[in-house]
Amino acid sequence: MTTVVELREVTREHGQVHALRGVSLEVAAGELVAVMGPSGSGKSTLLNLAGGLDRPTSGTVVVEGRDLATVKDLAELRRVSVGYVFQDLNLIPSLTAAENVMLPRELDGVRTRRAREEALAALADVGAAEIADRFPEELSGGQRQRVAIARALTGERRLLLADEPTGALDTATGDDILQLLRARCDEDGVAVLLVTHEPRYAAWADRMVYLRDGLVVESGAVRLESAR
Amino acid sequence: MSIRHGLLALLSGGPRYGYQLRVEFEASTGATWPLNIGQVYTTLSRLERDGLVAPGGADEQGRAVYAITEAGRAELDRWFATPVAQGDRPRDELSIKIAMAVAGAGAGVDVADVIHTQRMATMRALRDLTQAKRSAKGGLAERLVLDSLIFKAEAEQRWLDHCEAVANEKLPREKKA
Repeated sequence: MTTVVELREVTREHGQVHALRGVSLEVAAGELVAVMGPSGSGKSTLLNLAGGLDRPTSGTVVVEGRDLATVKDLAELRRVSVGYVFQDLNLIPSLTAAENVMLPRELDGVRTRRAREEALAALADVGAAEIADRFPEELSGGQRQRVAIARALTGERRLLLADEPTGALDTATGDDILQLLRARCDEDGVAVLLVTHEPRYAAWADRMVYLRDGLVVESGAVRLESAR
Repeated sequence: MSIRHGLLALLSGGPRYGYQLRVEFEASTGATWPLNIGQVYTTLSRLERDGLVAPGGADEQGRAVYAITEAGRAELDRWFATPVAQGDRPRDELSIKIAMAVAGAGAGVDVADVIHTQRMATMRALRDLTQAKRSAKGGLAERLVLDSLIFKAEAEQRWLDHCEAVANEKLPREKKA
């Protein structure tokens, strides 16, 4: 399996605060890795560094074979290689579901007709084909997250960074979203880094990384041993 | 533990023979509660003694079939209408183990290690249950039984996180990892 994102001895300091104190982590294509830990342990910092939203104080971040230290235009890298899903504030309210999914592709210069075709295919992949022309306010929380995941994965992107994507959902809908993320990993080789504080969602992952005070205290220890 | 009521519930759908009850019971509970055929027949004979089921003759292949009685239906209704009491959860082994570790019984016990070891075990159990749920081919009943176990494992995990946070804050420095 190819490595999609790799962090090597990454640290991040905000003034006197050591948000991350030397974290190494790899996520391969087709892998779902859950990041857990108490608040303030560095989970979101880790995600921001992995996706090029922030640069490390020291250490190396490699996304799709590109060392981010050598990448001048991080915004371009993010558009092309990385998809994000957050707890909320994912969609632009004045655009339909399909238009939301099309937007990053159109910003990349893809023509409208093709962007729409890609968007409809991506929405179908996440089981949201029938809501393509609805506006976010007309959608349930679970449907909105499906659209956000479709948007995060249009184009060639196969790294998905998810920060508490189930935070605003009931447990049955949250399970559906994890099932969907799992399917994108298993069927399309997407790599997912999932930050969650809920064990029930972490249990869907191939591996779990547990952060405390900016350090990995447990990693891979719960790799699934049963039949797979 | 109510194998009795489980069997009564299955029989309320029509007469059944022993092996059939065993298979249906396991399918409904997602194989989380395996029964041996001996338990099924022992339970059936007690239900018969109590007048809640009656022998219903034999099916075309000669297997002895049981049917629910009126008294059996009344007992089943009563069971469904009665909430299940909370068990003696505080007396479970895990609570005692953590309590003893925190109380300092057994000098040199590292509370963080005890919690950590348990957290890993519970997380593995949670993953196995999630895996079972993902590959479950059975119906809604099976899924909901697995969900019940998932919620319990999750609650234990949350409680362990809570223990860790509280112990971290309250225990003297030298007790920490």
